[in-house]
Amino acid sequence: MRITDRVESRERCAESGWYAYDFILDEPMDADFIRSLRDVGGSFVFMTMLKKPFFKIESDYYIIKGVEGNNYFRMAVHEEHLSELERVERLVQGEIADGAADRRS
Amino acid sequence: MIYLNNAATTYPKPQNVLDACSAALRSVPESQFRSGQELTDGEDVFTVCKRNLGKIMGLSQTERIYLSSGATDSANRVLYGLLSDSNDCEKKIITTVTEHNSILRPLYNHQCWKKRLQLLPCDRFGYIDPGNLEKMLTINDRDGVGTEAVIINHCSNVTGMVQDLAAFAEAINDSGLRDRPVFIVDASQSAGCIPFSADDLKIDALIFTGHKSLFGVQGTGGYFVRNGLELRPMLYGGTGRNSAQIEYSAADDDYEYEVGTQNGPGIAALCAGTEYILSRGVNAIAEKEREQMRILYDALGSISNVKRYGCFEKNAGPVLSFVIDEMAPSDVAYILKTGYDVTVRTGLHCAPLIHDAIGSGERGTVRISISDMTQNAELEDFINIISEIAEAGRQI
Repeated sequence: MRITDRVESRERCAESGWYAYDFILDEPMDADFIRSLRDVGGSFVFMTMLKKPFFKIESDYYIIKGVEGNNYFRMAVHEEHLSELERVERLVQGEIADGAADRRS
Repeated sequence: MIYLNNAATTYPKPQNVLDACSAALRSVPESQFRSGQELTDGEDVFTVCKRNLGKIMGLSQTERIYLSSGATDSANRVLYGLLSDSNDCEKKIITTVTEHNSILRPLYNHQCWKKRLQLLPCDRFGYIDPGNLEKMLTINDRDGVGTEAVIINHCSNVTGMVQDLAAFAEAINDSGLRDRPVFIVDASQSAGCIPFSADDLKIDALIFTGHKSLFGVQGTGGYFVRNGLELRPMLYGGTGRNSAQIEYSAADDDYEYEVGTQNGPGIAALCAGTEYILSRGVNAIAEKEREQMRILYDALGSISNVKRYGCFEKNAGPVLSFVIDEMAPSDVAYILKTGYDVTVRTGLHCAPLIHDAIGSGERGTVRISISDMTQNAELEDFINIISEIAEAGRQI
C-alpha cells in the first residue's frame, strides 16, 4: 500500500487547534490493512458488521478514520502534534504495509 | 445519493429555479433602478421577487424588503442599522440561546452591545417560554433601563423548534411598556416552509436567506424593516437613483439600501423559488414536511441507542437532531457520507449556545433536515442505513 497524496481537508474540525488531512492511497483499503493500522497506536474500533465497515483509531493527539473499500482515510491531528502525520505516513508506507503484506502471504 | 442537509442549503432545486437562473445568465442583464433593463410584463424581477416574498411572509410593505447576500449579511445590516452604538446607551438587548452565529457573533463582537445583552434560556427541547421574555421586559422597564430590541430565532436550525412568535409579539406589544422595543425575527429556517405573517405579528425587522426553504441559490437573501424605523446604512455606493446626491443624512428616509450591482441571476433564481412556493402553498409544504418529520421521529425513536433531541409535538420545523450512543456525531456523519453517500450535518451547527440547554454538549449532534423536494423513499433508505449503523454501534 502506498500513499499517493495527502490533502488537507476543507472541513474545519469542530475542535479548535485540530487539523484534518485525507491520505490518498494507491488501492482500496481491505480489512487486513485496516487491522494493521492498529500499530499506529491508540484505541481501535472496527465496525465490521456494517456493509461498508468503518474504523477509527483515537489517541490524545490524533484521530484516524476511514471505511473499508475506500482508497483514502482521514487523520485529524492536534496542531502541537503535526509530526504524527509523518510518523503515520512512514508507518503506512513502510512497516505497516509490509506487515500487512506478510500477514496476507 | 441522499441529501438531508436542507437546513444548510436546499438541494435539489425545483426545475423552474434552474431554468430561471440559466435564462438570467443568457439574457440581457437586469439592473435594479438602472436604465436599459428589459421588463417582463412591465415589471422587473426585483419587484416581482419582493412582492412574492411579501406574500410568503405576510409583509405588505414590500418596498421595505431589501435583498442581500444572505442572512448573515442581512443580520449585520439590521443590527448595525437599528441598534444604538453609543456607549451611553444602557437599554438592554434581548436575544435567545437558540440563535445562530449570524446573530450572536455581531452582538458579542460589538462591545457596546455585548455589555447590554440579555439571553433568554430554552428548555431541553429548545423551546423558549414567552413568559420569560415578558418578565425580562417588565423588569427592564421597571428599573428604568428599558429594552432596545428583542431578537428571536423563529425556527431552530438545531432542534427544529418553532417559537411561538404570537406570544412574543404579545409580550412586546401588550405589556404596557413605556418604551416598546424593536422586534427583530430571524426567519432563516422558516421562510418558505412555515406559515407566518410578519404584519400580523407586528415584526419590525425580519431577516431571511434565499438558499434554504425559499429555494434560491447561495448568496441570496434579504431583510425587511418596517416603515418609520430609521435604518442607518451600513454600505454606501451606487444605487441607480439620485446619482447627483453624494452625502446622506438621517433625514433621507428614502435611502436605497441595495447598493452596488445586485446579484441578478441569483435574484432571478430566488424569484423562481418564491413562485414555486406560492404555487405549492406554504401551508401545503408545511403539512407535507410535517408528515415526513413524523416518519423520521417515529423511526429514529424506535431505535434503542438513538437519542433524538426535541419531541415531534413541540418541534414543528423540518429539522431533527440526534446522536447514536457511544458514537461521535462526526463519526456517524463520516460513515453516512463515505460509506453510504448520505449528506447530513454534524457538530454545533453554528448555534453554540443551545447545546448546553438540550444536553448535546461539546460534540453537538447529527442533524437531518428535509425540504419540499425530499422524497419518502429517501427517508426509508436513510432509516434503514441508520438502523444498520446503530446496530453496529451497539456492538462496539
